Amino acid sequence: MNNDKYFGRRMSRRSLLGAGLGAIGLNGVRMLGVPLALGQVAQALAADEASKDRILVVVELSGGNDGLNTLVPYGNDMYYKHRPTLGIKPDKLRKIDDHFGWNSGMAGFEKLYKDGKLAVIHGCGYEQPSFSHFTSMAYMHTAAPNSGEEYGWVGRLGDVLQPKSAPNFIVNIDATQSLAVKSHVHVPVVFDEPERFTRKGSFQEKPLFDAIAVADNDPNPSRAFLRTAAKSAIDASALVRDAWTRYRTPVDYGIAPMGLNKVSSLIDAGMPTRLYYTGYRNNAFDTHVQQPDLHGRLLTYVSDAIMGFMRDLERIGKADNVAVLVMSEFGRRVPENANLGTDHGTANYMFMVGKHVKGGHYGKPVDLANLDSGDNMIHTTDFRRAYATLTKGWMGYADTARMFKSDFEPFPIFA
Amino acid sequence: MWKILILIGGLSVSALSYAADSNWANDLTPISAQDWNAERAAHLLERLGFGATPEEVQRFSALTPEAAMKVLVDFQGTENSHLAPFDESGVFDPSVDPFPESRPATTTQAKQQGEALGVKVKPKGNRKMQPVVNKFFYWLRASRLETDRLAYWWTNRMLTTQRPLEEKMALFWHGHFANNEEKVRDYRKMQRQLALFQAKGTGNFRELLIGAAQDPAMLAFLDAGVNVKGAPNENFAREIMELFTMGVGNYSEKDIREAARAFTGWNYEGVEFKKIDAKHDDGEKNVLGRKGNFDGVQVIDIILDQPVTAEFVAGKIYRYMVRQELSDATKKQLAAVLRDNKYELAPLLKTIFMSKDFYSAPSLATRIKSPVELAVSTYKKLGLNEIPGVPDFNDATEALGQRLFRPPTVAGWAQGKSWITPGLLLERGNFARDLLFPNINFLPPDRYPDDETIRIVSAKIDQGLDITTATKPEGKGMGGGGEAMMSMANSMADRDEDFNTRYASFRGWQMATEKVKPILRRTAQLDLAGIVKSQKLTSTTQVVDYMLARFLRTPAESADRTRFIEFLNNELGTDKVSEAETYLEEPLRLLLHLIMSLPEYQLG
Repeated sequence: MNNDKYFGRRMSRRSLLGAGLGAIGLNGVRMLGVPLALGQVAQALAADEASKDRILVVVELSGGNDGLNTLVPYGNDMYYKHRPTLGIKPDKLRKIDDHFGWNSGMAGFEKLYKDGKLAVIHGCGYEQPSFSHFTSMAYMHTAAPNSGEEYGWVGRLGDVLQPKSAPNFIVNIDATQSLAVKSHVHVPVVFDEPERFTRKGSFQEKPLFDAIAVADNDPNPSRAFLRTAAKSAIDASALVRDAWTRYRTPVDYGIAPMGLNKVSSLIDAGMPTRLYYTGYRNNAFDTHVQQPDLHGRLLTYVSDAIMGFMRDLERIGKADNVAVLVMSEFGRRVPENANLGTDHGTANYMFMVGKHVKGGHYGKPVDLANLDSGDNMIHTTDFRRAYATLTKGWMGYADTARMFKSDFEPFPIFA
Repeated sequence: MWKILILIGGLSVSALSYAADSNWANDLTPISAQDWNAERAAHLLERLGFGATPEEVQRFSALTPEAAMKVLVDFQGTENSHLAPFDESGVFDPSVDPFPESRPATTTQAKQQGEALGVKVKPKGNRKMQPVVNKFFYWLRASRLETDRLAYWWTNRMLTTQRPLEEKMALFWHGHFANNEEKVRDYRKMQRQLALFQAKGTGNFRELLIGAAQDPAMLAFLDAGVNVKGAPNENFAREIMELFTMGVGNYSEKDIREAARAFTGWNYEGVEFKKIDAKHDDGEKNVLGRKGNFDGVQVIDIILDQPVTAEFVAGKIYRYMVRQELSDATKKQLAAVLRDNKYELAPLLKTIFMSKDFYSAPSLATRIKSPVELAVSTYKKLGLNEIPGVPDFNDATEALGQRLFRPPTVAGWAQGKSWITPGLLLERGNFARDLLFPNINFLPPDRYPDDETIRIVSAKIDQGLDITTATKPEGKGMGGGGEAMMSMANSMADRDEDFNTRYASFRGWQMATEKVKPILRRTAQLDLAGIVKSQKLTSTTQVVDYMLARFLRTPAESADRTRFIEFLNNELGTDKVSEAETYLEEPLRLLLHLIMSLPEYQLG
């Protein structure tokens, strides 16, 4: 936290938190070790103090990104055996070491990795993998594979970080709300285009719009739901719109910014949001047929957008506050199919990006010589370890065992 | 006056009888003629179709429930000849079929064969393949724009049909067998698929399923064309089992692989299904516990034999028409109706629409309308007889999360609460605003490209700039960091000198707009003052109550009602309609905007 010069405009908020942030943080971390008897509230409070300004941004690549052709294990002959046509030759890659190289379109990821700001977590998956986009994505969203969980993991993280309903704590940039952000406590702010996140109306109508009340015991659950959403819209829309209108950046996010420029604008405007959820939508990565050009393009967009986001965060002085998770619902089948494409698979990389991310490899690379009966990877890392890493290591909430109903050891990515 | 009393009376009765009706929940026995009233007729028309005017509600409430079913479900005898067929622009020419996978595939083909899409590569000179790439973009744009016209044709049918269930079920199946023109890239296939949903949507599910599985749009969408003997592609078989018939968890991965073999060789040519025997794997398969040398239709029959299939299909229809919560017992009963009738859909639909459950308290005014339903029912309740050209129907509903022929994924649109976010709720109110007070800056999206790059390139070409300069990306990357700040995608653009993609994108648009017939851009022909007059409403209280009853499916909060009456009094400067007769329209539109902005306006 050595970039206070960037915080000039919001100095009052910073000074309110005090110069002793670091000290509080240390206390906070120690407090996490106290017995549960002290109670949940104390824990949540501790988490809050330790990392109050920290923000998590999840970028979801929908459709099942082909990890093997994203970060190519070129040092492994098995890769080329399984992918005689689709395998990317070593000289076409952006090599990062003797084993792995990025897809040639990913200049941004190459730079982030070389700068030590990108962590690769190998072999993320779960037992009894589902090959359905929708089911597997729901497992990823709820962090509850093969079991029913009504709320999303980001939503539940919001619940423990901020146990009292607070406006604008979770933002989901999408046309429809993701299951991942479904929360007990919070109403996530969901919007697609900030400039449209506004109610049109004549001057004299305004007081009536703002008068929408939520009845205590509405016998019609749908109406109660709608009225709650309307209330949230009143709370959030002006903030989001103003942030976006005022935001100007020289940074190029590329062809598909995936909403990350909108996230920057909100962070820059000082929105109290700690959890952002966005992504590349609509099964775009479902590359069954004619994969190479399409996949290369998509990866360039993703890499450009995340690189742009990092640059923009530096520019606005918030790079210290943000960590990004990049994930997909599954990887793809190891052997290529007969149509220059790949079918639904299992394990995949997850990536974490940020100034405070300790870059490098984490987890065990998947053994391509030892696939399951369906020619799929056997996962080496339960994906919830990645979530636990962010929950505890970054957002500062220690009781990951409670969050994920089982104890997942965080990686030392933020240590 | 009499009509208002009936309607308002109906509403208050339903509010009072909330508790009384709750023991109807999950009761599938039919309601009696004595239980039939205007309120219930309105509920039926709302769910089975796209809502109704008070006059239509009146007409159906005068029938018995059985007679209403005869007109609305067994609608073959219901006169509908006033509906015109789709008026094609004539954008298709045979050289675009089959259409290559992608722009790179097109130029590769042109390189190898000296031509593609019926256009030859120039013998020499700069940008030899430019005309080929122009043609590629022409068809992309033309098919998309023609599909938008098809959507207009369809929604006009929704609005004016005498057989609302036909269109409502077509919409349901469009979300069930959800294919997107963006991938299919041929409006003709989308048109053919819609015709299938309209023709078979309330007929026999087996016929519909086979029709959908052999439908060229579906085959194109799920890459079935590449599912061939020796190299089965699982995508198609997976979606058939997971999304179309059984649901996840009722089959194994092995079932999918085996079924995929049975579907090998299923392909299309143009807009016709074509089975290529040489590519079909006629070996033995083992699907869902049965062994044999099955083909695709036999696998479909095996799937239809699974008890879970009838439950899945009946359950999905129920959730669409009635409510999200469905008890296991009710689901099994509905599945039995479907199976006992050999997958005929009409008996199932009648069971649902006649059931006490359908009219029970948890079923009433609890369903959140989809954007298309919201827009069509709004027009319907306003008494319009054409879909307005302003606002643009497709853009307006897309902003709300639903664009016809463009479902987000093969799983279709998630229903219910998924339609609503705080942002989308505001958008729904804004849709009403754009309808009641048409935007004077409206630009027709079928002429004016929403892609800014096309507009910029067009302007620069007109200024006489060369193609390289005219298509150079501008703005980004210039603010400090220079080249380093420019993204890889933008700095790499147009490196290939054989053609220029940005120019082709512009030129393709220009060529497409020449061919595609324009959508008529008439605003909604509203006359709210006329409605007030014809209903002989005399006080602002009466006006507010009439509008609330006409447009809402649930009684308004009394605080909202009071605010609306005050609002109208202020706008009119009086509470007497007679004193304000000459300037009623604008205040009434503001009032209606307020009503349509209520959260509960989303409920049907």
